[in-house]
Amino acid sequence: MSGVWVFVENRDGAINMISREAIGAARLVANDLGKPLTGLVFGQSVAGVAAEAFSLGVDAVVGTDDATMAGGRLEAIGPVMVKLAQERQPDVIILGASTRGRDLAAWLGADLEAGIVAEAIEIKVDDSTVKAVRPVYTGKLLCQTFVKGGLQIVTLRSRAFAQAAPTGKTGTPEWVPAVVGEDAIPTKVVGFEGKGGKVSLGDASKIVSGGRGVGGPEGFEPLRDLAGVLGAALGASRATVDAGWIPYEHQVGQTGKTVSPDLYIACGISGAIQHQAGMRSSKIIVAVNKDPEAPIFKLAQYGIVGDLFAVVPALTNEFKKRLN
Amino acid sequence: MKAVVCVKQTPSTTAVFSVTNGSVSWDDPGGKPNVVNPWDEYAVEECIRLKENHGATDAIALSMGDASSDEALKTCLAMGCTDAVLVSDATLSGSDTLGTAKALAAAIEKIGGVEVALFGKQAIDGDSGHTPVQVARKLGWTPLTYVSAIKAIGGGSITVERLTDDGKETVTTKLPVVLSVIKEINEPRYPSFMGIRKASKAVIPTWTAADIGVSDAGAATAKTDWSNVYPIPPREGETEIITGDTVEEQVRKLVDKLFEEKVI
Repeated sequence: MSGVWVFVENRDGAINMISREAIGAARLVANDLGKPLTGLVFGQSVAGVAAEAFSLGVDAVVGTDDATMAGGRLEAIGPVMVKLAQERQPDVIILGASTRGRDLAAWLGADLEAGIVAEAIEIKVDDSTVKAVRPVYTGKLLCQTFVKGGLQIVTLRSRAFAQAAPTGKTGTPEWVPAVVGEDAIPTKVVGFEGKGGKVSLGDASKIVSGGRGVGGPEGFEPLRDLAGVLGAALGASRATVDAGWIPYEHQVGQTGKTVSPDLYIACGISGAIQHQAGMRSSKIIVAVNKDPEAPIFKLAQYGIVGDLFAVVPALTNEFKKRLN
Repeated sequence: MKAVVCVKQTPSTTAVFSVTNGSVSWDDPGGKPNVVNPWDEYAVEECIRLKENHGATDAIALSMGDASSDEALKTCLAMGCTDAVLVSDATLSGSDTLGTAKALAAAIEKIGGVEVALFGKQAIDGDSGHTPVQVARKLGWTPLTYVSAIKAIGGGSITVERLTDDGKETVTTKLPVVLSVIKEINEPRYPSFMGIRKASKAVIPTWTAADIGVSDAGAATAKTDWSNVYPIPPREGETEIITGDTVEEQVRKLVDKLFEEKVI
């Protein structure tokens, strides 16, 4: 068996945050197993990505640098990973549970008839097996889970693991050819619009979030100001999204995003069970609510009972003073 | 062209869970404890729209589960699906996503003439989102996940918009396809009164593992162990309610705490 593999997801020449976390976690798994760690790099003109992967701690890089790999299509990357895994028989393949990471894990599991541990928030090695803890029922329960035999595919939830730090280590990547040529890939990307550097809710280290208490679309304005000062992303409860006060992309909770920032400031959010499911793993939760009986206060480390329209602007001012 | 939507019956979003000796149960004091997986409602709606607007001849709801999954399929019929099929067999129980994918793929092949198979982006119980891609692999079709809009369909191809962690991507591919859809794609309709009446009388065919020719799914073939489920430990520590004579004072104290916690 050829050790631990980690999928090094990249875009525009940089390694995604979730893959930096995956490399950090995979390094520890490889150390525990006493096996080498190989980074899998796919893309076009990705020599720099390979160099960065070495610096972040992988022992080897294998991948494909080819025009078909640009844009990260499953039908390009999947077959190369399957072929490599069949030839080289890794023990464990670790991927960040990004949209692409989840898709690739499923692809590998189906083609290699392998078990998948999905969305892990903790992992440890126990007798050559990766034992994971993952939330189930959208964060209402936890589950200890592992692959019973053969190749172990593991996906890691974002922000659950520490990012690998640069070590300055260097190495020579091994490039293998694409398996499927452009003519044989049915899917063509005809348009792409990036996020333009906007922090996504899932990646945000701080989130300022609003609930019914904001009262209307304009009630999010003071929250936006606070988020701006903190460099935080803006979140929202389902009630506010359903009311049309704010777009769905901001929704936190069971039918929105699951987040685990360092700081979650819940403003005018009562804390329904569905909302809690999406944010309870935040490191520090602050609740601002008029109702001292709101369930969110049971979850929060810090609470202010009061009118968010007085408290939030005051918070913005205080942070402005301290951060400048 | 037939369109199929695969649905899963899941606990409701308001369900309250308990775990006794490792076995999970749930109830919903305010409503139905089991529902059509909320993410699947968007797939059901899109499937019906493929029939209404894009020339699909059938909009067929397909589910795998125990006999009670009938209820989820009746909801799909009440919304406007033309047919429903339940795949149910004791030997399929306890399948992992791959076992489920094999059974669903075999059922889709048995239905025949299907060009589009739709899924919700994930189920709110397992939350992995792996089944759509795995069904596509078993069928040899193209998977397109996290679809936020079908831009065009016809002439053997489909163009969709996807919302991924990278951004918004527009892709074109050949039919047949497996799509997983997200909330942005539509606003699911409510079942009509007539629909509910019709669905209540419907007799939904049940296919066994033998009917679809699947012998390599179910608990015995599951490659992942997930038997140890337990409640989330309560968050440690007390909530500190910050008081003060003025809002400014409260806020000052709070900000001090947040700097101490090193989250700023």
